[in-house]
Amino acid sequence: MSDALSEDGSDINQDDSQEEVMTPAELIAKLEEAWLNEKFSPELLENRSEVVECVMEQLTHMEANLQRVKKGDAKAGFHRMEIDRIRFVLSSYLRSRLQKIEKFFPHVLEREKSRGEGQPSLLSPEEFAFAKEYYANTETYLRAVALKRMPPNLQAVDMLKAVPEPCLDSFVFLRVKEQQENILIEPETDEQRDFVVDLEEGSQHLMRYRTIAPLVSSGAVQLI
Amino acid sequence: MDPSEVEFLAEKEFVKIIPNFSLDKIYLIGGDLGPFNPGLPVDVPVWLALNLKQRQKCRILPPEWMDVEKLEAMRELERREEAFAPAPSPYYMELTKLLLNHASDNIPKADEIRTLVKDIWDTRIAKLRLSADSFIRQQEAHAQLDNLTLMEINTIRQFLLDSLNCMYKLRSNRQPASAKSRLADY
Repeated sequence: MSDALSEDGSDINQDDSQEEVMTPAELIAKLEEAWLNEKFSPELLENRSEVVECVMEQLTHMEANLQRVKKGDAKAGFHRMEIDRIRFVLSSYLRSRLQKIEKFFPHVLEREKSRGEGQPSLLSPEEFAFAKEYYANTETYLRAVALKRMPPNLQAVDMLKAVPEPCLDSFVFLRVKEQQENILIEPETDEQRDFVVDLEEGSQHLMRYRTIAPLVSSGAVQLI
Repeated sequence: MDPSEVEFLAEKEFVKIIPNFSLDKIYLIGGDLGPFNPGLPVDVPVWLALNLKQRQKCRILPPEWMDVEKLEAMRELERREEAFAPAPSPYYMELTKLLLNHASDNIPKADEIRTLVKDIWDTRIAKLRLSADSFIRQQEAHAQLDNLTLMEINTIRQFLLDSLNCMYKLRSNRQPASAKSRLADY
């Protein structure tokens, strides 16, 4: 079944972008990468809804096939176990995104607002709706329990200041997937000087997220 | 990250099993497996191997590195070297635990292997603690951690990263620029 799918893909888009000719196995690997990156990065990363949608499609497809199989078939058991594992990764990924949205909602919405035309969106449409609703509910709640009893000049609250920003200076562990040269490392103390490091493919490092944030979104490094 | 999630990732590794049933090739989303023939070794992911083993449908062949002599050599190397030696497998601790807990009857000298792997683990964790200590003492901003496995990183992650963040906050508060923005907050 997976064979058929990957062949379909390569037949249709022979010279199209890589995403189109991904085999299901590569798709699952992409999902796992996105899962780990999202788990370990201090800020919300760009949404990967194309991966999520494809995985959902695969799962629905497989589940529909399993409906037709009679009970007690050994193969069906294997497929169910695999589906459960993929589902776990998928929901863990989406859940960690929602947690970050809840934690940083004003900043997430602010970035979404200031995003230029054509720039990819940070949030999927569903997540955007969730963030807006969360914002509105938090505001209503604060007003109902406290703010409306305050003197009028103290009734406004600036959410952007009230909710802490993601700390981009946190350290992260990472593995290098594509060789990088001359990454500037800022010193911890004033006595030390800036220095640069080269990131060899396959090597593992501990450093500040801010330095390598662009490499995470381009896929050149994997957070671990 | 929860240790069980690291174990989850380890379960994707492949092991050889000898099935006692026959089944055609199966086409999983993550790749094809099989065909399964009684008595013929076949590669499957650990999660499937353990499931089959629990249902007494197969015998698990230990991975190549899970061998007393090889592990003894690695233990010696690990004790001799100051840096981290290459780990027996990127998931050696998890796989040892999983396979020995569920299939110890298929693995020769299971107890010795358990002790050896524990020794290697202890040596490596001691090194890790030492290097974390010097990392913090010297206020480094970058460290290369080749050969460290995910489970090892994971045991120190929470503590090390939280401490680094705390120290960073304390330190940046001393600097005038950020002190000003602090005042604005109050």
